[in-house]
Amino acid sequence: MSVASVPFSFSRLSLIAGNTFLEAVRQKLFNFLLLLAIGLVASAQFFREFNFGSSELKFISDFGFGALIFFGSALTIATTAQLFFSEIENRTALTLLAKPLWRAEFVFGKFLGVFAVIGVFCALTIGLMMALLWHREGQLMGARPEDFANGRLIAYGDLLVVGVLQWLKFGVLAAIVLLIASFSNTNLFTVVTGFFVLVICHLQYLARDAWGNVDNAVLGLVVRALGFIFPNFQLFNLADQIGQGSGVSSVVALQVAGYAVAYIGVIGGLAVYSFRNREI
Amino acid sequence: MSQPVSAISIQGLTKDFSVTLRGVKLRAVDALNLEVSEGQVYGLLGPNGSGKSTTIKIILGLLDATVGDVRVFGVPANRVEARRNVGYLPEAPYFYRYLSGRELVKFYARVCGVSGTKLKSRVDEVIDWVGLSGAADRRVGTYSKGMLQRIGLAQALVHDPKLIVLDEPTAGVDPVGSAEMCELIRKLKHQGKTVLITSHLLAQIEDVCDRVAILDRGKLIVEGSVLELVGQRDRQALIVDPLPEADLEALRGWLAARGHSLNAVEQPRARLDQLFLSKVSRPGRPGGASAGVGSNEVPLDAKP
Ligand SMILES: Nc1ncnc2c1ncn2[C@@H]1O[C@H](COP(=O)(O)OP(=O)(O)OP(=O)(O)O)[C@@H](O)[C@H]1O
Ligand SMILES: [Mg+2]
Repeated sequence: MSVASVPFSFSRLSLIAGNTFLEAVRQKLFNFLLLLAIGLVASAQFFREFNFGSSELKFISDFGFGALIFFGSALTIATTAQLFFSEIENRTALTLLAKPLWRAEFVFGKFLGVFAVIGVFCALTIGLMMALLWHREGQLMGARPEDFANGRLIAYGDLLVVGVLQWLKFGVLAAIVLLIASFSNTNLFTVVTGFFVLVICHLQYLARDAWGNVDNAVLGLVVRALGFIFPNFQLFNLADQIGQGSGVSSVVALQVAGYAVAYIGVIGGLAVYSFRNREI
Repeated sequence: MSQPVSAISIQGLTKDFSVTLRGVKLRAVDALNLEVSEGQVYGLLGPNGSGKSTTIKIILGLLDATVGDVRVFGVPANRVEARRNVGYLPEAPYFYRYLSGRELVKFYARVCGVSGTKLKSRVDEVIDWVGLSGAADRRVGTYSKGMLQRIGLAQALVHDPKLIVLDEPTAGVDPVGSAEMCELIRKLKHQGKTVLITSHLLAQIEDVCDRVAILDRGKLIVEGSVLELVGQRDRQALIVDPLPEADLEALRGWLAARGHSLNAVEQPRARLDQLFLSKVSRPGRPGGASAGVGSNEVPLDAKP
């Protein structure tokens, strides 16, 4: 008997993504995010009294990005694991996967839902940070016009670009956490392993620098393989280039974005493969 | 194909779970063969841990068979296509707490491809059908057990599937509610649906099912139509129109003249639960006390 096949459907995928996002919204996760973002950026205000002058602006931007990277990473790992395991542990995955639905739609739907949640966090943090910078810059311009002879110093466009790149980096991290979750049995294991991988991804360039050129061919190969398997998160740190003459090159930004999308695709594919035969 | 396809066809199904790190296996389903024809209401019975839910999950492609062939309307159960015509109510269902009942049913309807103008009417229709119209806009997180079963039935039916699989739809439901559930199942049968149902409430199964299978430790031990199974072999029932007393006397006389006697005037049926208790072994409880069915899980460790 021939049956009409069920094609992969983007509308089902976006349904799952939307529902995942809604879960985050309705489970009050969002209120927490909002508070966190406001708290972070507002705390940069404390340093106003130091009155660093124009270097104060640099400080606010560094502080903002530092907070974005730190809390964004923690949030990505926790949210991804939580939103995935809430389906498994509450057995709602049972009902959902008994529908005519591809497991790939489920996994990528979860990914996009989480990605949207992190996107909101990034937008909030970056938006607040830019507002704060703009406001402070305005004040300083009034107080010390000589420093601002050529107009505003902060390249707000670059800030936005770097923010988007960080968001993509969190996307890579979310894909990694989903891959771990796809075979892991517990939330805790997933979160711990996720943090471990995060550290490797941030520090792997050190290993490459230290041992990449060693004479031992085997070790060199291992280090290089490691650098290939784990994405290099250091690539995304373009924040330092902001306001340093040239600014962020759009070619570099596009390359880094492509790097992130490629990793998301490959790691997401592996997550689907590993989840395909998971017993629910 | 000349023969009509069964709604569910299970051949030689065995399912092993690895329960320890050293690879010790637990056999949850053991060489099971089962055919459920279209239009039947089929009851899957068995004590706790006998493999009912495992069998159902394999039918739905949630678990893979270790050995064996499982087909739904002729399509291998592990394919996505097989699930197009199936609605499923899991045991002890639990749904997205943060959605309202209506949003929940709507979400599943859209996942199943119900769209456009049909979406709203279909969602309202099933919610009304399971009797939840009054609570449809409340969060699912506030629902009672019985309401969860109802909303679960609604989501199972929303895409108008041909086969409906219900894993203990009456667990945790009060007697009135479970009688209503039986009524709904009967209505489904009248609509020509095939229903596979597991339950511990044997009297209800008996009332609603056409055929039953009893599993014990993953093995099929009894299978057949309900009447066939609970009819008594050493007796015979003559089903006649109600007879006036005089005719009954005449019949007694007629039988007596041939050396027979009329033993009873009633419907000759044993309760299915008696059959059930006599057929399944109950570890740790020789003699088969009736308490405990449907309460605590009885651990069964089948030999690999
Ligand atoms: N994921 C799993 N891993 C290991 N063992 C499992 C798993 N799922 C089920 N089992 C075991 O398989 C056996 C059959 O379980 P199943 O849930 O199918 O029983 P059941 O007939 O539905 O029981 P109940 O009436 O309590 O719902 C049990 O011994 C159970 O412990
Ligand atoms: Mg069960």
